[in-house]
Amino acid sequence: MEEIKEDIMAYLQNKSFMDSGTQLNDDDSLTMKGIIDSIGLIEFIDFICEKYSIEIPEELLTPENFDSISGIVNVIQKLTK
Amino acid sequence: MSKLTCKKCILDSDIPGITINEESGLCQFCENYTPMSSEEKKKYLGIIEDLLKERSGKGEYDVIFALSGGKDSSYGLYKLKKEYPFLNILAVQFDNAFISDTAVANAKKMCEIVGCDYFKLTMEEKLLCDTFRKAAESTNAYSKFARYRASDICNTCISIIKQKLVEQAIIHKAPFIVFAFTSGQAPNPIIDLQVNFIKWSRDIFEKQLQNIGVDDKDESFLLKNEIIKSINKDTTPIMLHPMCLWDYNEDKIVETLIDLGWMPPKINDSNSTNCLLNAFACQNHINKYDIHPYAFDIAGLVRSGDMTREEGLEKLHKELSEPLIEMAAKKLEMDLE
Repeated sequence: MEEIKEDIMAYLQNKSFMDSGTQLNDDDSLTMKGIIDSIGLIEFIDFICEKYSIEIPEELLTPENFDSISGIVNVIQKLTK
Repeated sequence: MSKLTCKKCILDSDIPGITINEESGLCQFCENYTPMSSEEKKKYLGIIEDLLKERSGKGEYDVIFALSGGKDSSYGLYKLKKEYPFLNILAVQFDNAFISDTAVANAKKMCEIVGCDYFKLTMEEKLLCDTFRKAAESTNAYSKFARYRASDICNTCISIIKQKLVEQAIIHKAPFIVFAFTSGQAPNPIIDLQVNFIKWSRDIFEKQLQNIGVDDKDESFLLKNEIIKSINKDTTPIMLHPMCLWDYNEDKIVETLIDLGWMPPKINDSNSTNCLLNAFACQNHINKYDIHPYAFDIAGLVRSGDMTREEGLEKLHKELSEPLIEMAAKKLEMDLE
């Protein structure tokens, strides 16, 4: 879980200009915090699919699953089992 | 520390968020950049061709095309129809109250040349000006990611276009929406829009509008919820960005277009050949964030080899047009220091 989280944080810091000092809790909304928007999400989801060799089914593509670090980590864990 | 400029692209250490590795001389984007190989581009073009062949001929239109009348979209429309002549295209030009007369004439001309339908999407001018003024006055309404991609005004405008083009695709049962984004603007060539994502994008934009102080109760800018409800889950549109797969050379594109009868713009803006608001939007963004909103786009083109570094640097540092800035400020009833 920690490794996935680190990958995601590294991606967000590199791609979305999230400052290294930004305080981000696992349940914070990435869109509401102004870290990513809909176009960024497309790239982000592409990165996740490629990095973990997974396909994300339509029903999982929701804010509950992809708008926070904890949601994303859960989905990745579920799909890579 | 003195300013360092990336050895490969045009981003520099004065741009907030950009770090240049002193050892390699590269910015963080060039350090992590893996170019799309010609094999990959060919593969994507093959997938696009298969999708277009497979899904065309079933709706009222096959493609809803975002046509600004500027050079990229005019060329994109021409090339798309040349490559895939079987496509039935509806070209949509968004009248944002600041498009030039030449851009309108060029858009209509290109539609005549390629033989496709033209639709001018219009909205109340006062509503648009009020919205763009609020975008200009706002700070941090969009994500940091978006701030590097475009100005707050352009992000508002392009978001409206996207919402309304998806709406047009659903209304006309068109399986494809095509934007002429370059590799610097949109690196993903194929985006399969799923219903949940369409809804989520709509909600994100609604919040962004609220952030700038716009309550779009009438859904003038937002994709209408009633229309979302009518989407057939099996036929949600796919967004295509073929320009990021085709060879891109600005001079050659303009040359081709002029041969076709497209008129070069009379406006003096190095970053837009169609929008009279662009120079103001750039200046406003630079004043607010100290970021040139085209820096990232130009850097992407240089990084991918579609533009030389010298051309990129020249484009980035070209002075913005004062008369255009003044004209837009007057129309928006704003001062721009």
